Amino acid sequence: MLSIKESAGETLSMRAPALETSDIQATVLRPRPKPYCGEYVVLRIGNAEQGREMLRRVLPHIAPADEWWAPSALGWLGIAFTFEGLKALGVPQASLDSFPIEFRQGMAARAAILHDFGANAPANWEYPFGTPDVHVALAIYAKGNQDLQEVLEIARKSHHDLPQIAVVYRMAFGELPEGRNPFGFKDGLHNPHVEGSGPAATTREEPSIKPGEFVMGYPDERGETANVPIPLELRRNGTFVAIRKFYMDVAAFRKYLRAQASSPEEEELLAAKMVGRWRSGAPLVLTPDHDDPSLGGDANRNNNFRYADDKKGLKCPFSAHIRRVNPRDALKDDVVATNLHHFLRRGTNYGSPLPDGVLEDDGAERGGVFLLIGAHLQRQFEFVQSQWVTDGNFISHGTEQDPLIGNNDGEGVFTIPKVPVRRRLQGLPSFVSVRGGEYCFMPGLRALRWIADLKPMMEADDVRSR
Amino acid sequence: MTTQTPTRPESDQAVEKKIARVRELYATGPEVGKTALETLIRELKSGSSRREPATRMSSAGRVGSRQGKVSELLFIVPFAPGGAERLRALLELRNGDFSDTDRVGTVHDMRFVFLDNDTKLLFATAYDGEWDPYIGDFAATIPDGLDVLFSACEGWPGIRNPEVKDWIAKYQIPAVGWYVAHPDLTVRDIQRLKRIGKAAEEFLDKIQ
Repeated sequence: MLSIKESAGETLSMRAPALETSDIQATVLRPRPKPYCGEYVVLRIGNAEQGREMLRRVLPHIAPADEWWAPSALGWLGIAFTFEGLKALGVPQASLDSFPIEFRQGMAARAAILHDFGANAPANWEYPFGTPDVHVALAIYAKGNQDLQEVLEIARKSHHDLPQIAVVYRMAFGELPEGRNPFGFKDGLHNPHVEGSGPAATTREEPSIKPGEFVMGYPDERGETANVPIPLELRRNGTFVAIRKFYMDVAAFRKYLRAQASSPEEEELLAAKMVGRWRSGAPLVLTPDHDDPSLGGDANRNNNFRYADDKKGLKCPFSAHIRRVNPRDALKDDVVATNLHHFLRRGTNYGSPLPDGVLEDDGAERGGVFLLIGAHLQRQFEFVQSQWVTDGNFISHGTEQDPLIGNNDGEGVFTIPKVPVRRRLQGLPSFVSVRGGEYCFMPGLRALRWIADLKPMMEADDVRSR
Repeated sequence: MTTQTPTRPESDQAVEKKIARVRELYATGPEVGKTALETLIRELKSGSSRREPATRMSSAGRVGSRQGKVSELLFIVPFAPGGAERLRALLELRNGDFSDTDRVGTVHDMRFVFLDNDTKLLFATAYDGEWDPYIGDFAATIPDGLDVLFSACEGWPGIRNPEVKDWIAKYQIPAVGWYVAHPDLTVRDIQRLKRIGKAAEEFLDKIQ
């Protein structure tokens, strides 16, 4: 499905250096398999040499982006490190010091910027999130449970005889029926197209984004190439990942819709207005009055739209989730440069679905874990979270937050533009709570080797010279 | 925008301590100030001014101060050679017209004051939220509007230069005291309220 627009653009624009897909981790550039299951595993490293031994063993199994779904592969393994993890592995101080401040501080320390207050405050996160015990995050994806178990076994064998490597967290995830999220929406439909990563999989009007926004070692949208962290061997083909684990209160969502609407059709409309898409994935901008499952299921059409014809938000509210986190052309008259605020979004769901029609909470944990990937945590994830998700000023909506993932406290509002009189929903609770999160560095494959081969007491001068 | 400033009532004891200190300091100053202070203390301790304000001053970004949603930024910086002359001519050309700043949508005011015989520029502005997260956006969307003004200053690195944040922080002086009539209203809030007010007046005109 090679897009005609894409190939035309390639010949006109300056050719970007081809991405070294064999050195970039698959998780960065490639969508999760369909269907999928998997597990996140968090390790704590008590001894640097044992940590590096674990890394040497697991390294041959880390999937690169070029062979991400080779028929022979059982599943695929991604690996990333927190700042504490890099320290624990013995990465030289000069390298550690060269990382951006937000990564060195970690997500929990950035709570004020991220609006992680109240129930979302790091004090309420699940262990080990937000503690110095999170060192290594492994993401394992597979097509089925048998393959998953085999990859898990590889991961286990990488450290089973290393007493200083502890498994501090394991979390299984898997696809829900019809590829929906727990709220019942098809999601994961949008990701920016990374220039040089191969042809866009689907037709889209949005321009490709320079690879340096997502992978270090290439020019970004500002024409700059990352020069930290040092040395080049460590940063080349690496990137950063903001991990967010969300609990989704499906019963609260359904109850709220029921209370606000006078018919099932109206419930569906209100839900779609909050999301910006109908349950099938069909965007409101293209079908404002009713769902269109064939549109929702058509990858060439369900993400091929802009807001130019909806400047008043009558089809898709300004405050709708997808219009906030990815405004496309909606803010083009403002000073904001939306091309500086993209990240790649890799979402997975966990927990069982709440059966259809159930309005009472069953107490089960369910939700999503999102890997938000980009080379600039501050102007990508942190900007989107602080300016677009947890505030409304950029769309002249005062302090109104994202209706779906905002940190609403029971007094949230959601504005739906309408003629002659807008509708405003009141008393929004939080439908989503943060269960935990971390900032991680996801190195390229050669960089993983560089870390694995570090010698104890490596002189910092070796690093500074490059 | 996101960091609200919760107002925390000060304990009576802490207030009394501050009063004692300010009395002591004013005692060494002119008599008019001393008398005026006693009036102010009486007012602070009684009546309407006893209630808690909506916001108290907090910090905005690395250096400035903030009241609710509004932040202040002030810097004093030497002019580059010929800079004062250039900027004066530019501001005369503009003749008070800064309508292009409307596009930013978060700037309440800006002032350019020439100090010490045109050797230094004092720039002061009140704006919404934080400028820090948007500096890259400014560089991408309105670089010339900023460079044409601040290239008059010594060492201005250019808005596209990542060091511009440090340059601003270096010359920035935070306000010790600052009054904002509506700390809960951003420029965009005000624009919205003006639209609603106008529509309400038109509606009332029609039905009277």
